[in-house]
Amino acid sequence: MRPILLSGHERSLNQIKYNREGDLLFSVSKDNVVCAWFSHNGERLGTYEGHNGTVWSVDVDATSTLLVTGSADNTLRLWDVASGQKLFEWEFPTAVKRVAWSEDSTQILAVTEARMGYRGALRTFTINRDPASLTSQSKEPSRTITFSGPKATVAAWGSCDEYIVTGHEDGKVALYYHDTKEPETGIDAELEEQSLAVHEGVITDMQMSSDRSFVITSGKDKTAKIVSLKPLQIMKYYTTETPLNSAAIHPTKPYVIVGGGQEAMNVTTTSARQGRFEARFWHIVFEEEVARIPGHFGPLNTIAIHPTGKGYASGGEDGYVRMYWFDESFFRSK
Amino acid sequence: SEHKAALARKLILARHKELLQERARDEAKAEAERARLLAESEQKRLAEETRKKEQDRIRKELDAVRAEETRKMAQSLREKGGIKLTEEEYANLDTEKLVQLQVSQIEKEKKDLAERLRVIFRRMDHLERAYRREELPLLDKDYDR
Amino acid sequence: LEEEEEIDYTDIEERYAVRFDEGLDHVIVIDGVPIVDDSKKERLFDTLKKRFRTQTGLDVDVGNFHMPFGEDEKSKGFMFIELDSADDAALAIKTMDGYPFDKKHRFAVNRFSDIESLANLSEEYVEPAEEEYVDKEHLRSWLLDPQGRDQLVMCRGDDVHVAWHNRHAPPQIFHTNNRWTESYVQWTPLGTFLATFHRQGIALWGGNTWQRFMRYAHPGARLVDFSPSEKYMVTWSHEPIVVPENGPIGPQHFTADDEGNRVAVWEVKTGHLLRTFPLPPDDEEKKGFSWPFLKWSGDDKYCAQVVPGKQIRVYETPSMGLLEKKSINIDGVVDFEWCPLSDADKAAIEAWGDGTNPAKGAKKPRDNMLAFWVPEVANQPARASVMQVPSREILRSKNLFNVSDCKLHWHPQGNYLCVKVDRHTKTKKSMFCNFEIFRMREKDFPVEVVELKDPVTAFAWEPYGSHFAVISSNDPNLGIIAPGITVKTQLNFFHLDPKKGDFRLLKVLDNKTCNTVFWSPKGRQVVVATLGSSQKFDLEWYDVDLNADLRQGVPAADPAEEVRLIGQGEHYGITDLEWDPSGRFVATSASAWRHSLENGYAIWDLKGQELQKQVQDRFKQILWRPRPRTLLSKEAQKQVRRTIREIGKQFEEEDLAEESNLALQNKELYLRALDEWKAWRAKTKADLAEQREALGKE
Repeated sequence: MRPILLSGHERSLNQIKYNREGDLLFSVSKDNVVCAWFSHNGERLGTYEGHNGTVWSVDVDATSTLLVTGSADNTLRLWDVASGQKLFEWEFPTAVKRVAWSEDSTQILAVTEARMGYRGALRTFTINRDPASLTSQSKEPSRTITFSGPKATVAAWGSCDEYIVTGHEDGKVALYYHDTKEPETGIDAELEEQSLAVHEGVITDMQMSSDRSFVITSGKDKTAKIVSLKPLQIMKYYTTETPLNSAAIHPTKPYVIVGGGQEAMNVTTTSARQGRFEARFWHIVFEEEVARIPGHFGPLNTIAIHPTGKGYASGGEDGYVRMYWFDESFFRSK
Repeated sequence: SEHKAALARKLILARHKELLQERARDEAKAEAERARLLAESEQKRLAEETRKKEQDRIRKELDAVRAEETRKMAQSLREKGGIKLTEEEYANLDTEKLVQLQVSQIEKEKKDLAERLRVIFRRMDHLERAYRREELPLLDKDYDR
Repeated sequence: LEEEEEIDYTDIEERYAVRFDEGLDHVIVIDGVPIVDDSKKERLFDTLKKRFRTQTGLDVDVGNFHMPFGEDEKSKGFMFIELDSADDAALAIKTMDGYPFDKKHRFAVNRFSDIESLANLSEEYVEPAEEEYVDKEHLRSWLLDPQGRDQLVMCRGDDVHVAWHNRHAPPQIFHTNNRWTESYVQWTPLGTFLATFHRQGIALWGGNTWQRFMRYAHPGARLVDFSPSEKYMVTWSHEPIVVPENGPIGPQHFTADDEGNRVAVWEVKTGHLLRTFPLPPDDEEKKGFSWPFLKWSGDDKYCAQVVPGKQIRVYETPSMGLLEKKSINIDGVVDFEWCPLSDADKAAIEAWGDGTNPAKGAKKPRDNMLAFWVPEVANQPARASVMQVPSREILRSKNLFNVSDCKLHWHPQGNYLCVKVDRHTKTKKSMFCNFEIFRMREKDFPVEVVELKDPVTAFAWEPYGSHFAVISSNDPNLGIIAPGITVKTQLNFFHLDPKKGDFRLLKVLDNKTCNTVFWSPKGRQVVVATLGSSQKFDLEWYDVDLNADLRQGVPAADPAEEVRLIGQGEHYGITDLEWDPSGRFVATSASAWRHSLENGYAIWDLKGQELQKQVQDRFKQILWRPRPRTLLSKEAQKQVRRTIREIGKQFEEEDLAEESNLALQNKELYLRALDEWKAWRAKTKADLAEQREALGKE
């Protein structure tokens, strides 16, 4: 299984995302650039330029018309996928760490960093999708959840956008009811419907199952976990020997892919083995590791699985995106 | 006219002499060339001969070494006693066959060692378990006491 | 140690403090109880139970009544009652103290913990407590496992697990305790107890249900050491002892005399403090505080410490007083070691008893011995000597020359003493090594010398038998500790040549990196490991007498040929290695105390085949539970050996059955996991469809 190497970024990758059809892959990096790639051959479709800081997060809507990005330049931006034009920009007091489109692509959420006296917060915005006036969006969030406790690091929309799920720096996963018509603004402690201690330490990634009924979380505590949403409950554990940065659920086969690696500053000697820079495949039900795919020269920061399940991609600290199409025999050989 | 004739004859003679001398010179030259060629070929032949002799000597030495090696290999194989061959068969073994035999010998040793170890482990395991089982009633008594 | 101090223990301390103070406050002692024999005990208890109910309203189970009986088979006139709480005890004391049971008997009721401080307390009062623990738990119940398996204790994160070792499956955890210890755990030498470490001191645990057996209140205790038969325990704390005002009083507690001391000696069974010791002042200590602080004779009768350069102090148990009230003065003495006891010695001691009524045919066991060495002082050559204790007679002495250092290595069965002498040439330019081997089972203890040209970095006797393994090195990097440097070593096996009758080099294996030797407790097999390197994690298994069983006692034609590499492996990040008590398995681990890379453990068999490997974050420790000496007589063991073929066949069948059973169980486990997952997915999908319908989405 040979990867297609996407080498357009100059610095480490922060997040990668396939669009709904899987013909495009979007990537954001510390080099301030947002890229779009054709997934069948790895050619670059184009870039979205303008951010003045690390781009932390990216998401594309269900129709592949609108792209949203969040950056360390304290802005959240809306782009036209096809033309690469910036349509709108929201500004905040701190960096935007995580963005996500709602299931119906009418809303977005943005998680902002806690820094310099500002608490971490999650805001939602209702997006005006009228093709004639895409550049006119409401500056005001439809709701704001301020985190008085440990800040959120990741967030996503649940099925039918009925809930927002957050993952926090202390390992907590929390559930917020989201009423589109009357979204409630306030402090997390008052709004939180249910929460569960899932990891010991920072949650690094959280990805939805394709039907949005459960999530997989990854943590610096070297584990990834399947968590059901209604009610919040840990269903499965995947325990590795390296801090994890990302985890994804295969849409059609009973596997999950997790990745990470010891950060360079924590690696005491130069032996490559100690970094463990491999994508690891685990059986979702039996909680057993079934395969490893090496290749990156640094920790894996982000993993995305093709929406049809026919391939996956990983973005690394080494600045590369490695995109794979599974061989016919790949899952059969297990 | 006689004078003329004499002159002519003298000329002819001189000419003849010249020719003779020329021929002699040519012949000498040819002879020298022949001699040189002869000497050269003789030298070549001699060189070839020594080379061949040297080669023969090396080959013989090599053969001797190989034979000795083969003998030693055969000897060691025989000493280890893993493979049963007659005297004659040992004598007729060539190196290639010996290497083959040696490989199979190593394989066999590996297998033997694995089997030995399996037996050693099994024996220790069974003994320990048997001791412990026999000890059970004593332990009960020990507690009652 | 410093790092440990930063860990916040307050939550545990609070929890523990409550329990600790509570102690035995729920136990009361009633004096003035009618003296009865066993036949009347039940009636007495019934009456007592009724009286208690009517007088105090407390319903006490007679199972919590403990009445000691004397040798005349009559009760002693007092008894203990365990109540549910300290409050109940207070109520009982208030109402029942002075209660007239009948015309002749009036009760005197006290709290058990108060009794200990009462002046008129007789020695007998302690006994019932002892009886109590014997009744409560069979402390050797783990030896009764019908499959004869061994146990393991594992520390991972804050959890401590006790598990059965299985040959075909990962260790089967049967007892888990979160925060059981605040640092590490340690088995007692015979495996009876597990020691845990707490801010307040040491606790020992054991029995079927892992009840706490006893606490030893030595605040901040970080190190513990036990006498060979577990009778005594020595603890060390870096904090000098402070006796708080109004602190608990009694034989288990420190008194003003102990203030400032840092080492304590306890009697395990009673929890009584026997003695405390000061440590030299801090500046001196940095030079070398060595543990164990006290070394024990094989029979627990004596323990001793060295005062470097001056004397050896031998203490007698249980008084812990100096033997004959005086130290043994030896000018210049550096170190000493007690001679260990062989199995036969131990059996002989048992048969002899105290000598008043020895078993038939028993001989007086040999006296304790210790070896010590003295460097060259004032034109006297260096020497190694063996002294008998208690007689203090020097049994054998050997002068040594050009000595840089000595190490005393007793053969674990006490058959030999090897004095490893690091020597220098006259010019002091190069170092080499002499082994001065004393034969301790022969008349006059003959000594022979074996020389090795290179410096020796590790030495280990084969526990049974007469081999020893030595690691030496001529690598110029020897002694340099730096990343990237792995010192090249040689592995040398020596043996007692059965033909020539002397010790000689058997085999050298060159170009190794190993630096540590682990003999199987049964001898013959040995693992050599490369520990402490950042690149090499090699493990090699050797058998030093491969065909011993086949030869049946006949000496080998070429003993060197009998030394064979039988297995090889690698455990990435390995920090520790331990053989199981039977010499069949080896556990290796990569401890989170040393580094955080691939922490976990592996279990191997004696051939070096890896059976289990678990990588577990924050894995700290794995220890096999030791076993006491077998109760089987020599004759019984012989009988087992005679029938081993037959018994072995049964075991093979049992193993096969277990294997197929296991496969079946595994399959069932998988199927169940799959069923559960499918059921959950079906439910979430149904819920989702319902949700969508309700929202009018589909």
